[in-house]
Amino acid sequence: MLIAVNILILLYLVAPVIVVVATAFTTTAYPVFPPQGFTFRWFERFLSMPEFTEAIRRSALLALSSTTVATVLGTLSALSLVRYRFRGREAMSAFMLSPILFPTIVFGLALLVFYSRVGLSGSFAGLVIAHSVLTTPFVIRLVMASLAEFDPAVEEASRNLGAGWWRTFLQVTLPLIRPGVLAGAVFAFIISFDELVVTLFLAGPDMTTLPVRIYTYVEFSSDPTISAISTVLIVAWMLIGVPVYARFLSVKH
Amino acid sequence: MHHGRAVGFGLELVRLPGRDVHRVTQGTADGILRRRERPNTTPYLLIAPNLVWLLLFMAGALVLLAITSLRGYEPGGRGILETWELTHYAQFLGDPFFLGVLWRSLVISTETTIVCLILGFPLAYWLSQLRGTARAVLYLAVLIPLLTSAVVRTFGWMILLSNNGFLNKTLINLGILSSPMRLMYNETGIIIALAEVLLPFMVLALDAALLNIDRQLYDAARNLGAGAVRIFFQVTLPLSMPGVISGSVLVFTLAISAYVTPALIGGPRVPVMSTTIYQQGIALLNWPFGAAIAFVLLVTLILLLAVLSYVGYRFARAA
Repeated sequence: MLIAVNILILLYLVAPVIVVVATAFTTTAYPVFPPQGFTFRWFERFLSMPEFTEAIRRSALLALSSTTVATVLGTLSALSLVRYRFRGREAMSAFMLSPILFPTIVFGLALLVFYSRVGLSGSFAGLVIAHSVLTTPFVIRLVMASLAEFDPAVEEASRNLGAGWWRTFLQVTLPLIRPGVLAGAVFAFIISFDELVVTLFLAGPDMTTLPVRIYTYVEFSSDPTISAISTVLIVAWMLIGVPVYARFLSVKH
Repeated sequence: MHHGRAVGFGLELVRLPGRDVHRVTQGTADGILRRRERPNTTPYLLIAPNLVWLLLFMAGALVLLAITSLRGYEPGGRGILETWELTHYAQFLGDPFFLGVLWRSLVISTETTIVCLILGFPLAYWLSQLRGTARAVLYLAVLIPLLTSAVVRTFGWMILLSNNGFLNKTLINLGILSSPMRLMYNETGIIIALAEVLLPFMVLALDAALLNIDRQLYDAARNLGAGAVRIFFQVTLPLSMPGVISGSVLVFTLAISAYVTPALIGGPRVPVMSTTIYQQGIALLNWPFGAAIAFVLLVTLILLLAVLSYVGYRFARAA
C-alpha cells in the first residue's frame, strides 16, 4: 500500500522530466505527450540556431568563472568555520549560508540597483559576482561536511612534524576534503549554469545565458526545440552530477 | 563536531575561546604559552574574502535597495528623486490590488508547503526505511529532478497542464471529465507545478529527521501493543517534527520567492509578489516601488519564519 502510494508520488516527481525528454523526439511541430513518431530534427535545429549555441558558450564560461570564485571563497570559509573556535563563529556561519534562503527575486533587484551605481550594469563580471554569491553557500556546506569527517589530529600531526599551515593545507587537508570540494564545485557549476532569476535582472541584451534564452523562448512560443535543449541539459547534469554526488555520499556514509 | 571529543594517547583537549583548538601533550607547554600571548588571526583571515564579498554585494546591495525604497519617483520624467518618503509603502498597503497580490502569494506558498508535506512524508518515510543500494537508487530518483532546472521542469508542466495536454486528455478519456479543466493560467496549475519543483527539498529535510529516530523506539511501541496508526501519530510524527519545521520553512521560503513557475504557469493574469517585483523593476523601471514591494515580501517572510521557529521551539521543548 505504502509502496503503491510512493510510486505514484515518484511518478509525479519525475513526470515533467519524462515529458520534456519524450517530446524532444516528436515529429509534430509542437510538443505533445505522448510523442508521435521519432526524429532527431529538433536537436539538429537547436544546434543550427546561433542564439542558443552562443548562449551555451556564455553560460559555460559564466558557470566556470563563478564556480572558481565560489570554490576558493567557500573552501576557505568552511576551513575557518569547522577548524577554529572564534568569537562570532555561529553568527558568521549563519550569515555565510544565508544566500541559500535569501529570496533570489529580492537579490536580483538589489543587485540591479547596486550595479547601476557602481558601473557593473549588464557586465559579465557583474554576473560572475552575483552567481558566486549564490553558489558559495553550497560549497561551504559540502566542504564543511567533508571536514567534519576526518580527525583534526591528522592536521596537527603534520604541523607538529614541522610543516607550515600552507603545506599542511596542500598536502594533508586538501587531499582529504577533495570529494567535498569537488562535489561543492560541481553543485556550484550546475546551479550557476541553471540560474535564471538573478540573471534575468542583470543580463543586458548582449549577455543572455542559456536559461534566459529558454525562458524568453518558452514565454512566447512552444516548440520541441526547447525539449531538445532541455534533454541535453538533463542528460549532462545526470552524467556529471550523479557520480560526483554518489561518490560524496559514499565517502560520507 | 569533533572538537569537543577527547581522543586517547594521553592527549588532552584544550579549548581556548577566540583561539585555535590545540590538542597538546605535556612537552609543548611553552608552545601554548606562546600562542596564548597573541590571539590567532587565521580564522579571520580565512573568512575575510568571503565576508568582504558578502558585505559588499549582498548586504551593501540590500542597504542601497532599502534606501531606494524610501526615495520619491516621478514616472517618465526625472525618475528616482532625492527625497525621502514612505509613499511606495503607503501605495502598496493602501491598494486592495497589491494587498490581494500579497495574499495570493501567501495562499499559494502555504498550499504548496502543505502539498509538499503530504506527498513528501510517505516518500521520506520509505527512503528512511531503506538501506544500501535500494536507498541510493531512491535517493537519486529524488535528486535527479533537483538537478533539472526549474525552467525545464516548468516547461514540462506547461505541456502536461494545457487544455489539450496529457492530463486533460487522460481525464477525458477515462470519463472523469467531459470538457477540459483549466489548469494553466490559474492558481491550481501554479501549485501543481511548484509543489513538484520543491518536493525534493521537503523529502531531503524529512529524511534527515526520520533517520535520526532510534529504530528501537518502534519495536518498543509495537511490543507495548501500539498499532501502526498509533505508532505513526505518537512516535514517528512528533519525533520527525524538526524535519517538518525545517522542510516547511525551506519550501515556503522558496515558494514565496519563486519566479519562473508563477510567471510561466500563472502568467500576467495571476500576479504574485515575485512577478510584481520583476514587473516594477524591469518592465516599468519603477525601482523605488519595486524595492518597497521587495521589502514587504522580506518583512512578511521574516515575521512568518519567526512565528514558525517559535512554534517549533515550543514544540521541541514540550516533546
